[in-house]
Amino acid sequence: MIMSLPPFDLARPRTVAEACALLADADTEAIAGGTQLLSAMKNRTRAPRRLVDLASISGLDSIDYRATRGLTIGARVTLAHLAAHPDVLRHYVVISEAARLVATPQIQSMATIAGNLCQDTCCLYVDRALEQRDALGPCLKLDGDICHVVPGSDHCWANYASDLAPVLIALGATVTIATTAGEQQHDLQTIFSGEGEQPIALGRGELITAIQIPPPAPHSGAAYLKLRRRGSLEYPLLGVAAAVTGTKMIVVLTGVDRGPVIVEGTSIEDLARSASRRVHPVKNAFGYGPNYRVRVIKPLVTRAVRTAIARAEVQCD
Amino acid sequence: MTELIVNERKYKIDVPSHETLLKTLRDRLGMTGTKCGCDTGSCGACTVLIDGEPTLSCLLLTVRCADRRIMTIEGLASGATLHPLQQAAIEVGAVQCGYCTPGWLLSAKALLDRNASPTREEVRQAISGHLCRCTGYQKVEECIMAVAQRRMESG
Repeated sequence: MIMSLPPFDLARPRTVAEACALLADADTEAIAGGTQLLSAMKNRTRAPRRLVDLASISGLDSIDYRATRGLTIGARVTLAHLAAHPDVLRHYVVISEAARLVATPQIQSMATIAGNLCQDTCCLYVDRALEQRDALGPCLKLDGDICHVVPGSDHCWANYASDLAPVLIALGATVTIATTAGEQQHDLQTIFSGEGEQPIALGRGELITAIQIPPPAPHSGAAYLKLRRRGSLEYPLLGVAAAVTGTKMIVVLTGVDRGPVIVEGTSIEDLARSASRRVHPVKNAFGYGPNYRVRVIKPLVTRAVRTAIARAEVQCD
Repeated sequence: MTELIVNERKYKIDVPSHETLLKTLRDRLGMTGTKCGCDTGSCGACTVLIDGEPTLSCLLLTVRCADRRIMTIEGLASGATLHPLQQAAIEVGAVQCGYCTPGWLLSAKALLDRNASPTREEVRQAISGHLCRCTGYQKVEECIMAVAQRRMESG
């Protein structure tokens, strides 16, 4: 059955400033790859009256690497383009690996880097078909007042499940956020609200135009591991990004909370212990239950950090 | 008016902004080879090639596809001559109910166009966005490997 999209206006600005002005209106969303947005609109969980097409703005789809400045990724670069780029493969292979673990090859060739970072949280209740949702009544994420996953909760427990966000945070990424007044750079982790209802803390009229990653430091390495039921399509039920520079170690988790979870430490044991204490996954995803997801945090963190260390050592030689 | 280029032919059509490419192809252009499975991006039945890349037509707005090269399964054969992938699919029996077939054939074409001698793992990766409800994945793999093999042998 072909599912219909609800009607909307499609605005096609030529510049970032025009796009920001349009995005300042209520009920307006940006569309880049559109993979998550259009599925949600078909499923009637999102209903913007106007979409602002970023494809008509030039200059947002390039990748640039300089040894002094690092990597700059335009907001509309697709995951497939990113994963196959020679500079990314040479200097930031973990980004390519993570991009290739997102959903399916078709989605990788449509979905964009900024869209992946700004993705909405997911939950087995919200992602159900409309008829099934209607039978239970609207939850906190859909402007209702209850949570079907954690009964009695006063807030939403939906999962933030980007594969790229933990990797880019671990690598020290910043984002350029544009408004009609100009552009500013912020640390990537500042765009996450930590709330299930609205995981992205961008205000109206704000648009990410680029992502910057510093040049790889000497003696550094990184890795990303993803837990899911099968080797395709699915969001992570736990994702672990690890980055190591000399004795400094950072681990960022995804798929187990309402935003990325950052853990820093000085030893593998220390990181594994802190990571498993920090998160409390709930039964909001199909596949593995919360107990299993907690139990695999230590082994997955350990394996990710060991891989990162091994890569850092190779880089020294 | 939106100008679409489908299988190297130009079409001028008037479509609302909320129409998907899948609907346009099937209902306006009569190209029903592109299938509608889940219609939310999970199954791969609606896959078409856009500028050579496998893409989901159920999650694409038609008006955003103007002036891009769209290839559907109707454009894979040259006249009455089947594409080698189609021929091999018949020979190894890689078609069961046929619903996923148009989609994975196009993903396989995109793979072989950029990588003439893929490994079995690369083939599996390339078709990992296609659900076969008959679970006939083994034959699909064999079909694609057979075409790659033949191309290598014939140089």
